[in-house]
Amino acid sequence: MSVDATLTAAPPWRRRFSDSAAYPYALIAPALAVLVVVSLVPFLYAVYLSLHNVEYGQVGDWNLLDNYAKLLGNDRFWNSLRVAGLFMLVAVPLEFGLGLAGALLLNQQIWGRSLWLPLLFIPSMMAPIVVGLLWKIMLAGSWGLLSYNVIERFGWLPGTSVFASSDHALIVLGLVDVWQWTPFMMLAFFAGRQALPASPYRAAAVDGADAFQTFFRLTLPLLTPLLVVIGMLRFIDAFKVFDSIFILTAGGPGVATESPSMLAYKMTFEQWRIGESAALAVLVWLAFFVLCNVFFQIAKKRLKAF
Amino acid sequence: MTSPKPRTWALSIVAAACLATSAQAQTWSYKDAAKPFAGTSIRVLDEVTPLQETMKTLVPQFTAETGIKVEYELLNHFEVINKGQADMLSRRGYYDAVMLHGIQMGQMLAAGTIEPIDGFMADKALFNPGLDLKDLTPRAYESLAKFKGQTYSFLNWNYNFVYWARADLLNDAGEKAAFKAKYGYDLAPAKTTRQFLDIGEFFTRKAGQMLAGQPLKTDFYGVLHEGITGGATVSSVWENIMKNYGADLFDASGAPSFNTPETVQALAFWARMWKYSPPGQGEYSLVDVPTVMGSGIAAQSIAFSDFVLGIDKPGASAYAGKFTYGAIPVNADFKGPRSAGGEPSALVINKASKNKPATFLFLEWMIDKDTQRKLIEAGKGGVPIRTSSFSMPQFGGSQAAFYGAMKSSIDVVQAKPKVPKIFEIYDALGPIVQQVGQGKLTPEEGAKQGQAKMLAICSKCTL
Repeated sequence: MSVDATLTAAPPWRRRFSDSAAYPYALIAPALAVLVVVSLVPFLYAVYLSLHNVEYGQVGDWNLLDNYAKLLGNDRFWNSLRVAGLFMLVAVPLEFGLGLAGALLLNQQIWGRSLWLPLLFIPSMMAPIVVGLLWKIMLAGSWGLLSYNVIERFGWLPGTSVFASSDHALIVLGLVDVWQWTPFMMLAFFAGRQALPASPYRAAAVDGADAFQTFFRLTLPLLTPLLVVIGMLRFIDAFKVFDSIFILTAGGPGVATESPSMLAYKMTFEQWRIGESAALAVLVWLAFFVLCNVFFQIAKKRLKAF
Repeated sequence: MTSPKPRTWALSIVAAACLATSAQAQTWSYKDAAKPFAGTSIRVLDEVTPLQETMKTLVPQFTAETGIKVEYELLNHFEVINKGQADMLSRRGYYDAVMLHGIQMGQMLAAGTIEPIDGFMADKALFNPGLDLKDLTPRAYESLAKFKGQTYSFLNWNYNFVYWARADLLNDAGEKAAFKAKYGYDLAPAKTTRQFLDIGEFFTRKAGQMLAGQPLKTDFYGVLHEGITGGATVSSVWENIMKNYGADLFDASGAPSFNTPETVQALAFWARMWKYSPPGQGEYSLVDVPTVMGSGIAAQSIAFSDFVLGIDKPGASAYAGKFTYGAIPVNADFKGPRSAGGEPSALVINKASKNKPATFLFLEWMIDKDTQRKLIEAGKGGVPIRTSSFSMPQFGGSQAAFYGAMKSSIDVVQAKPKVPKIFEIYDALGPIVQQVGQGKLTPEEGAKQGQAKMLAICSKCTL
């Protein structure tokens, strides 16, 4: 039976409904309902908690902005933002650059591509706890595979170890993130590159454009929407980093790797300062809401990405 | 005929009372006590270690005897804290009994989530008269379970620290002679903090130097200790070091007392220890310490004894059987009571539980002498909660030194004071203690900053 025949066979009420303004909303309603339940309700509850005294899990009196004031006066909060910022600055640009370079390389029909592609999924598919443990085995002070055989043998970090050094721990955590997420970026960009139309490239070739020109005049502009979305997602994800820090440094040495997620975890599950940790979550959300909007506007107006 | 003397009367009464108690003890059984609760299901949340896994194999025996079904759930350290506390604080009562580390008791008491057990203990139908609570290791039990005239638990787990050293190195003739020549006394397991540092200094060597007649392929270290900012670092520094210098986190009134000359002395010792430690110590957790000790790059350590058991056994480490143990080294100049770190812990009855009497029976059964005997036999050792258990054959023979050290610690271990904000305090002190160890803060600066951080959290910290 053809599609037209199906439409013709549809009862009039259904045709009227599919033509109505409510139809698109009805289509997205199930997804919207799920989002409201699993995302909006908890978020609104977090806002509610952040405005109340919460002692040992019991919600008490309304306290206006006390939790926010306490948080803003807490140097650990500002430190955690600094840590997350540095972590993002180390990890995301590298992931982005290496991912894009790798995607372009994969696009060149390199030898064994069908072998490399599935292998590239492995780090991203690994559970974060496994990634943490893997790098612990590699870099643990004095007994890690790399620490013992390379770093300490050649005296690269005298008197300390990778994760015991406040100068190195955060950078290495960023590199662990690069190891895990660069292949994902690579594959995402590669898929985007593969989906680009061939005709502009043929025209460029006819016009005699070199590889450099083709990349900057064609590939990059055409890929910009994808680059912006993936980049934004990675920025958000990197800011929320928790698992690898929890496993590898627990926020130390000192508080050198204590990210907002790590701080929120301690405040919630160890210290039961739920009001303050809810305030932290709300503030971080607010910051991201603003940043993402700014980012989106730049991408839209300056980069013409959307 | 003369009337009996008062002394004879008294003896008769005592004898009659003993007979009555004995008869009651003989007649009381878990089966009879559980009759009203047969068919009840209870949920118990405990921490997973080899000891608890062995306990899990025994639990069906309780069900067979009483008809009370037990869902005995084991989770790792972090999960048992998070999930157990969340359930207790939510008041939903999913778990009837939850394992609480001693450090959690203050928080949970402040939240009013622990059911006292005095009422059940006074109930003759429920309380096993042969339970012999005096046999529970007294300092740990009393300090953990009793608070302000009420009893909140028995004693289930007796985590403790021991001194752990390489016997093959300490007994090496060449090393002994060299040590005596340098320090003027015999090389032996450290009993004092000074000996601990001397041994630490003596054995800290670079790759290529000789150790016990063999050239070292890698650097070797004299001391190994947990140094991560979280974990049990602060706990160990507090109980194994500070208290042996006469320092404490809190004074008698419960106020912070970190900035004292005694604390400064203790932190100075702590900082010196780090000079002889592996470079990665700042990232070592309580799990890493036995791993590193088992890899053979350190001469001595202070570690949780139950973790040591996982290393000093055939197949677990190339150095298994080459270790020796002792009491926690003390500061010879301090004349006060000796201290050793530990974490007496217990299963408590969740105030929101709907099956409290049945849960109480299970908790009794867990610490019963017979259950403990079976636990030790099945686990081929373990960490006893009963003083009498130390006389079992599993704790003698080749393991005598290890269990002797453990008993020495357990004899003096005290549960943490009941401090609701203890996790905040640990979180604040962790980085400071670590920085003192790493030489980034002086002991004086550490003590001063630590006191300020503690005062920002609480001015009277204990309940």
